[in-house]
Amino acid sequence: MKIKGRVPTTVSGWGALALFSVLLLVLPSSFLVIRIFQPASENWEHIREYMLQNYMMDTLLLAFWTGLFSVAIGTALAWIVSAYDFPFRGTLKWALLMPLAIPPYIGAYTYHGMLNYTGVIQVTLRDHFDTEVSQRYFDIMNMPGAVFIFTIFLYPYIYAITRAFFARQATSLVENARVLGSGPVRTFLYVVVPVARGAIVAGVTLVVLEVLNDYGVVSYFGIQTFSTAIFQTWFAFGDLDAAIKLAGILMGIVLVLLLLEKFLRGRRQFSYSNTKVSPLKPQSLKGWQKWLTVAFTGSIFCLGFVIPVAQLTYWSVLTYEDIFSETFLTLIRNSALAAGTAALGVVVIAVVIANFTRMAKGVVPAVTSRLTVLGYSIPGAVIAVGVISFFIYLDEKLAALYDLTGASSALVLSTSLIMLLFAYIIRFMAVGYNSIEAGFDKIGMKFTEASRTLGMGWTETFLRVDLKMIRPAVFSGFILVFVDILKELPLTLILRPFNFETLASMAYRYASDERIQEAALSSMFIVLVSGIAMFIFHILIEKEPN
Amino acid sequence: MHVQISDLCFDYSSSKTPTVSDFSLHMQEGEIVSILGESGSGKSTILRLIAGLETPKKGCIQVGDRAFCQGDGVYLPVEKRGLGMVFQDYALFPHMTVEANIMFGLKRWKRAERKQRAAEMLELIHMEDFRKRYPYELSGGQQQRVALARALAPKPSLLLLDEPFSNLDAHLQQRIRDELRNTIKHTGTTTIFVTHDEEDARVLADRVVMVEKGAVKQVGRPCDILKETFRGQTAHVEA
Repeated sequence: MKIKGRVPTTVSGWGALALFSVLLLVLPSSFLVIRIFQPASENWEHIREYMLQNYMMDTLLLAFWTGLFSVAIGTALAWIVSAYDFPFRGTLKWALLMPLAIPPYIGAYTYHGMLNYTGVIQVTLRDHFDTEVSQRYFDIMNMPGAVFIFTIFLYPYIYAITRAFFARQATSLVENARVLGSGPVRTFLYVVVPVARGAIVAGVTLVVLEVLNDYGVVSYFGIQTFSTAIFQTWFAFGDLDAAIKLAGILMGIVLVLLLLEKFLRGRRQFSYSNTKVSPLKPQSLKGWQKWLTVAFTGSIFCLGFVIPVAQLTYWSVLTYEDIFSETFLTLIRNSALAAGTAALGVVVIAVVIANFTRMAKGVVPAVTSRLTVLGYSIPGAVIAVGVISFFIYLDEKLAALYDLTGASSALVLSTSLIMLLFAYIIRFMAVGYNSIEAGFDKIGMKFTEASRTLGMGWTETFLRVDLKMIRPAVFSGFILVFVDILKELPLTLILRPFNFETLASMAYRYASDERIQEAALSSMFIVLVSGIAMFIFHILIEKEPN
Repeated sequence: MHVQISDLCFDYSSSKTPTVSDFSLHMQEGEIVSILGESGSGKSTILRLIAGLETPKKGCIQVGDRAFCQGDGVYLPVEKRGLGMVFQDYALFPHMTVEANIMFGLKRWKRAERKQRAAEMLELIHMEDFRKRYPYELSGGQQQRVALARALAPKPSLLLLDEPFSNLDAHLQQRIRDELRNTIKHTGTTTIFVTHDEEDARVLADRVVMVEKGAVKQVGRPCDILKETFRGQTAHVEA
């Protein structure tokens, strides 16, 4: 009388769809792994001999210093805002997130434009104070400059995660430490930081992944990292095999980073989420302490947001008449089209996979879920190389078909917009997937089960109940992905079809032609859209009871 | 016998001891049976097995002339079983009105019939005026009545209730128990409900099945197997 463990056919239908999607998502990366071991070209020998060491050093130095400074600033700000009360605290709490709205490459050329010989600072010094200062004090196009740019625009990752952690978890420990007579500095260093280690490590991992992903800042500042190297090898030498090998090494670095994260987070879980935790009650600051705190937090906000936005606004006003034209509208259209289509693809695939992983139990869905979010840790340049080799392979296989249909070129897919959209979907899948998975977690299984007892199958239940209930999650997933794609640079630069410019690629092109003022309007547009999106999300999160 | 459940066995893959072992129950049409047990006794799992939300390791379930699961590979998925179930927290669809919630299970009915049935059910639970309300606009007791109406609307062959009173204020429970019993008896629906509260079982059930560690410990009429303490109240209800 044994009942076999039967999987209902609908679940296997969803499963097939989900597994097919995941296969598509990981195929380009697996392509890289296979091709890494092909015999090396002449270029590769040259790169390995003379350049590899530089790439490695610059990449690691950049990642290390940015990580260090971001941790210091992000954690300190999170603690100050959580534990102390001071003027403008309410505003600064969300304002300190805003630098994230400015992509680092836009921040980089904005600061360069302000600091160079014709920039606002030197001009003011010359005209009003009659002072001429040596150029080297104003040169930020170097390693320390890049560290400054990345830190000031990426620290919010650490700030946001750590602050959320303090709000939920730290209260009783901190209060205990205070009762036991430990002062603010000691409490911070010996209780707060160790307890928040997991959150800090999670934040700094995101920061370093962004640094490794970046192409805009490092190429503009002329720093030789793996991303720039992959670009040069592919564009200048046209050597895909060598680019693949570089991409493989970069992937290795990412892998080490992720292992390091796991190790640093440790097995000890400081989680008190089971008990009801009241938020930390902020202490009022008095006198000079109060104003020092305002000055510190305020100046970070100014450096990371107010100053660059003010400068961009000024340039936008200067160049508005020349730049705002039919071409600019085409840029907006292209950006919206690319981001919109890819974001739609992301949420559709994410919904299919997330629904499958919640219906089915076991190893397969768990692995599926892990693979889906993999793309976010892979730097854009690596994904680009993987996708290109995959699409060229497809074109080779489909050549006979192209002949049959009389297509004019042998490269159909690999010169189309589809390739770029496909790469976007891989890279930003995790953003949409996490949002939608959280949505499913929030509603749980009870409504699904209620619907099933009322006679609806999996698919019908999904369409009539689940989908309607996770609508907010789908919507926010879409917006997050849309904004991320709008800001994206490396994939766009490598994979866009000939003559297809977006706001981001155009802003970068203007800036690298030293036409920084002309780049401002596109940049402002990007900053504005992502700023508004962030602001709305912040309000939504604050409003939610939990 | 309208309901025949025999030798039901089940364990969650994470636990070493069986959650449900050799559970059997036979019921006549229109009977109300209470499965009574402490939390963790496996009583909710039994309900989920009958509903088809979990798949038993072995055992047979037959309701009316339909086999839900049997040894020879017969396994009816949950949506094909034609049961009604009221969840502990009601699980009313928050994006649908009261009426839409009640009509949800009537998908194969004609539109006019669906409307008609919903009106009947609303009358049954005395909530005609709440047709267009949304679940969040209702009190806990009202939500429970809508959940019951939704489960009863498709005329289920068996109604399952999971801790139907656990989310209600204590002072409401007495009244709602009586209401619930009247509604169910009025429709003549065969009902199994799970509870940890002896008083629920005493007021509502024709028969009580006490479970401990996933196995049947005792079966009988409430007046025979439950303690005598609340006798007075029972008499009041039966009067």
